[in-house]
Amino acid sequence: MTARSELIVSAVVVAVLACAPFLSPLVHLDISIVSEVLVTALAVMSANLLLGYTGLPAFGNAAYFGLGAYGAALSVKYFNVDFVVAVLVGMLAALVGGLILGPFLLRRRGIYFGLLSIAFGQVFYFIAYRYTDVTGGEDGMNFPRPPIGIIHVVLREASFYYLVLAVFVVCLIAFRTVVRSPFGRTLVAIRQNETRVRYLGLNTDRFIFVALLISATMAGLGGALFGLLINFAYPLELDWHQSGYFVLMMILGGAGTVWGSLVGAFIYVIGKDIISTITPLWQIFLGALFVACVLGFPRGIVGSIQALRRGGAQTFADDDVNAAFDANAPVEIGRGV
Amino acid sequence: MIHDLAPQLFNGLVLGAFYAIVAIGLSLIMNLTGTINMAHGSFMTLAGYLAYSLVLRGTSFWFALIAAPLIVVVVGIVVERALVRPLYKREPFYSLLMTFGLSLIAEEVYRLIWGPNGVPFSPPPALNGTVALGFMNFPTFRIFIAVALIIAILALAFFLTRTRFGLRLRAAVQDTEMIAALGTNTQVLYAVNFGLGIFLAGIAGVLAAGMLGLSPTSGNALLMPAFVTVIIGGMGSLFGSIVGGLLIGMAISLTTLFIPAASEVSMYILMAVVLLVRPRGLFGEEGIFG
Repeated sequence: MTARSELIVSAVVVAVLACAPFLSPLVHLDISIVSEVLVTALAVMSANLLLGYTGLPAFGNAAYFGLGAYGAALSVKYFNVDFVVAVLVGMLAALVGGLILGPFLLRRRGIYFGLLSIAFGQVFYFIAYRYTDVTGGEDGMNFPRPPIGIIHVVLREASFYYLVLAVFVVCLIAFRTVVRSPFGRTLVAIRQNETRVRYLGLNTDRFIFVALLISATMAGLGGALFGLLINFAYPLELDWHQSGYFVLMMILGGAGTVWGSLVGAFIYVIGKDIISTITPLWQIFLGALFVACVLGFPRGIVGSIQALRRGGAQTFADDDVNAAFDANAPVEIGRGV
Repeated sequence: MIHDLAPQLFNGLVLGAFYAIVAIGLSLIMNLTGTINMAHGSFMTLAGYLAYSLVLRGTSFWFALIAAPLIVVVVGIVVERALVRPLYKREPFYSLLMTFGLSLIAEEVYRLIWGPNGVPFSPPPALNGTVALGFMNFPTFRIFIAVALIIAILALAFFLTRTRFGLRLRAAVQDTEMIAALGTNTQVLYAVNFGLGIFLAGIAGVLAAGMLGLSPTSGNALLMPAFVTVIIGGMGSLFGSIVGGLLIGMAISLTTLFIPAASEVSMYILMAVVLLVRPRGLFGEEGIFG
């Protein structure tokens, strides 16, 4: 995408999002659902940084998402902190989670990294599930939405939405800046050939660790805002199924693209909201979506649009991390195990 | 408390044998094709439900124990050919996602067919009693499970190390291209290997249904411990999966007895410790079975 068309598209998308509180009643959508899209997109972006750009199967990001939600929930419930502090505690909890798990996850690559992420992520699920006295266990925990400190206002749904939108736009710009920085380029290089990057004298473990911490913090931010949005935290937020949903949204929108996470989260969250009111069989639709996406649509929506604009050429051009997700991109079986 | 220790240790071993056999199936599939089969638990559940339906229609438990896994193998091979095979040439996480989707569909379908709650599936009367072991009594069915799982694992080890087909399979894990160049049909190899993993899951599924209960999610409950078993034992090591499974079974049953609050988390702590000491797992080598 040229710089100018990207600017135009971005401006249009942000303008539409800014009008969402007025548009959503027209299609009978609650504005809190659109808020949910944005906070979910943050978690999808966090998975995208690891899997889409760095090539590490990020099947544990729900753990950081849930740590964010529980961090916010527990700090509000037991310490009556204000909104901003609750969000910061959530992010910090996720960051600490990343700091603890990182050294273990870094030991392996490829599918093994995915397995370790799934397995270690479950620890937090069981902690939330078991310590009923503190976390409410399986039933989850309610907590009131705290006021924002300086202005002493408890945000209602529309104003909450604008806050989430502002946070999302800042994160999107930050995300774009990171993946286009030399640091982000190095992550892409690691994805393509880690051995070669190491031979160039770079400590790839350190790059991956930093990417993991950024990813965890971002997922934690999404989780904390999600918790404050629904005023509730529950163990299934931490479960590996949720991690799988994040990865699905990433593929659906376009892995290795800046906007793909938003598109994927939008389709998933809105689709779930609509379909589950029509039929109780949402899970079958979801499963079929997994199968269809993986088999028939691995580049995702944004990725496919980008490929079309380039005339279908499959290149590993500078801005096209997504090409690696093409069905025809060859990969050696068992690579990086 | 010390009186509880011996039965609890035995329970841990039986549970560990389950983890081991599920892990071996996962590991077989993962090793040859790089596929993490998230639907493994669904195949187990399916075998359990099929056995339940067969017994309900009057067949004997023994027939169901063999027939149900075989039907599931057929389902598994169809899934392998139609859905998993196109993904072999792609990055491994695609097959993980795809099989995850399959498990979601399967769970809902089981719910539609057999109801959302658990169904009772009890072992045959011949296995219902207890056996006096001198220092304690132990349910016959659990002893039977242990024996059956040991026989299954020994049969697999024999197949992999003593038959031509098994040797080809292990050779293919090391170098698929070379074995194809030497004239082996690797597509058949993939299908049989997948079927073998599913067969083990099927056997474990029927037996687990009798011991741990049968519900739309019951197989998935064994999936996570099996993953941890693969990580602890080391990918590609049959022996490692056995040792890993038994270790986890013991860890879980002992923590259930002494520190119940930590019973779920114990295997993850074990996994963390093993990873720190041996990143490839206890017996992990690069992709060699046997």
